[in-house]
Amino acid sequence: MVDDIAPDSVLRRTEIALRDVSVSYQSGKEGRKTVLSRLNLKVAAGEFVVILGETGCGKSTLLRLILGQEFPTEGAIEVDGKPVTQIDARCGYVPQKYSLFPDRTVLGNVMYGPENAKSRFVGRFRPSFFAFRRTLRAEAEEFLMGMGLRAQDMHKYPHQLSGGMQQRVAIAQALLMHPPVLLLDEAFSALDPSTRSSLQEQLRAVWLESKPTVVFVTHNTSEALLLGTRLILLGRHGEDRMGETNLVLDMEIPQSQLPLSARIRAREFQDLLEYVKQLAYKSSSLHADDPVADRIVEEGNLA
Amino acid sequence: MAQAFRVSDLTGIQVRPARLWTHSLSWILFVTGIALYAHFSIVRHQENPEDRVIPSATQLVQGLKSSVLEPAEEDDPLDPGATLLEQVRHSMIWKDTASSAGRFFIALLLLIPAMLLGMHMAVFPYAGAFFLRFVLFFDKIVALSLLPILFIVFGIGEWSKIMLMFIGVAPTLMLDTYNIAGGVPREQSVKAFTLKSTNLDVAYRVVLKQVLPQLINSLRLNLKPLALFLFAGEMIASTDGLAYRIAIMRRHMGMDIIIPYLLWVALLLFMLDALLRITNRRLHPWYQPL
Repeated sequence: MVDDIAPDSVLRRTEIALRDVSVSYQSGKEGRKTVLSRLNLKVAAGEFVVILGETGCGKSTLLRLILGQEFPTEGAIEVDGKPVTQIDARCGYVPQKYSLFPDRTVLGNVMYGPENAKSRFVGRFRPSFFAFRRTLRAEAEEFLMGMGLRAQDMHKYPHQLSGGMQQRVAIAQALLMHPPVLLLDEAFSALDPSTRSSLQEQLRAVWLESKPTVVFVTHNTSEALLLGTRLILLGRHGEDRMGETNLVLDMEIPQSQLPLSARIRAREFQDLLEYVKQLAYKSSSLHADDPVADRIVEEGNLA
Repeated sequence: MAQAFRVSDLTGIQVRPARLWTHSLSWILFVTGIALYAHFSIVRHQENPEDRVIPSATQLVQGLKSSVLEPAEEDDPLDPGATLLEQVRHSMIWKDTASSAGRFFIALLLLIPAMLLGMHMAVFPYAGAFFLRFVLFFDKIVALSLLPILFIVFGIGEWSKIMLMFIGVAPTLMLDTYNIAGGVPREQSVKAFTLKSTNLDVAYRVVLKQVLPQLINSLRLNLKPLALFLFAGEMIASTDGLAYRIAIMRRHMGMDIIIPYLLWVALLLFMLDALLRITNRRLHPWYQPL
């Protein structure tokens, strides 16, 4: 039933392109502060891109640019060949907090999008809409059960759920729209380790099943290497690097086709994790052409 | 296990008074007030048995009886064979309450679009840019100073009093709504747009629905200012209403009528506030006040 409202969204692949994107803003006495500088990036359809970087390096800004919530000071962003001019309803979005509507139950939250897509205003009083709603409810319940929720959770309000449950619902809310692009902004950062790994598995499974283009922002290195097929490491832009890009590393993650449990045990993964951690640590002062970065890219690709 | 009460608990922050203590403490000021009133009333009545400044219980009961069962002086006397219900319906307090309540509820209804405008100012940046500065300035104008203008524009009839209440309360309520609606996290509207919401969906189905409990609370806090402006209007130019009666009775030193009227007004506002509070809780079980 939900497929009726987005019949080809799963099949339609969406490419994201950023061309010479810079973002800066006036920051009181400090003058103009550059958050992103000359960023060129092309995300292929169906890729799982993880953006990693320390606080303030512009990774969330990058996500908001793709979403259309913010606009670059210079450069252009295109999704599916079209410039981003407003918040793009083709994107599913899961922020770190405030992702659920507090006045709606779990079911109300996940059904909100498909109901909007199906009908508006007068259309909601037609008998066909009530029939749609019944089928949607059944489908949403099944989907939520698959995400680890119980039948008794369906009519709970967000404040009655744990943080992990809330994020499960938030992901379900986005996924039920079958978005061709899924944007997650530190979506798991407030969760405990076991909930986090369980949600990582689920996200990975969803991606493998329908292959949406995923852009996942995190500051957790192992999560980045574990989940994605491609890693983008951003460094904080400083005055000493005016005009230079703050893209530190852009690499394919080796063995990304393996299941998470197998990847995490692989020795290459552990080595790579250590390298990227070191690189991320140094990233605020590191240039993209730093030999350490080259070595990591090289070894990462070889592994 | 609950700890025994210690005197030092009275100034403690991390103490949890037992239910009995909480209830008992909450009634102390009421009891003290009544006791003080009774004391001063007795003292004054010992000096002058006809004292009208602090009426005795008997005088108060008599005043209450004439308010509830007798028509106002300016009205025609009631048929001696009238039933109790007819007596109440033609009574002074009934007529005054109906007049004041009519004005009060019309003003209350007019505040709804004002609150919606405040919400629009927060949600739609152009609406905010257009209205905010003006409302901020208008809010600082003392509403009572506009009364002569209102009398000229609307006459001394109902609308001048209703507009006084509206002008007195609406700007503050609009600014409060603007702040409350502006406090809804940006993530919520962004999320709604990704879920195929239109601008109006975001304004009414996301923002308004979320802030409605806070708006009702804001309205509750403004009930008293609203009554204050109603009383000001009625005391200056009116031929009926609760405040009109209090003003008339003041001239006759009729404290036996004024005090029951005063308590009746407080009770009405208290009941309206409680009704809004209970409705708010029932309608919005998800609301978690800070």
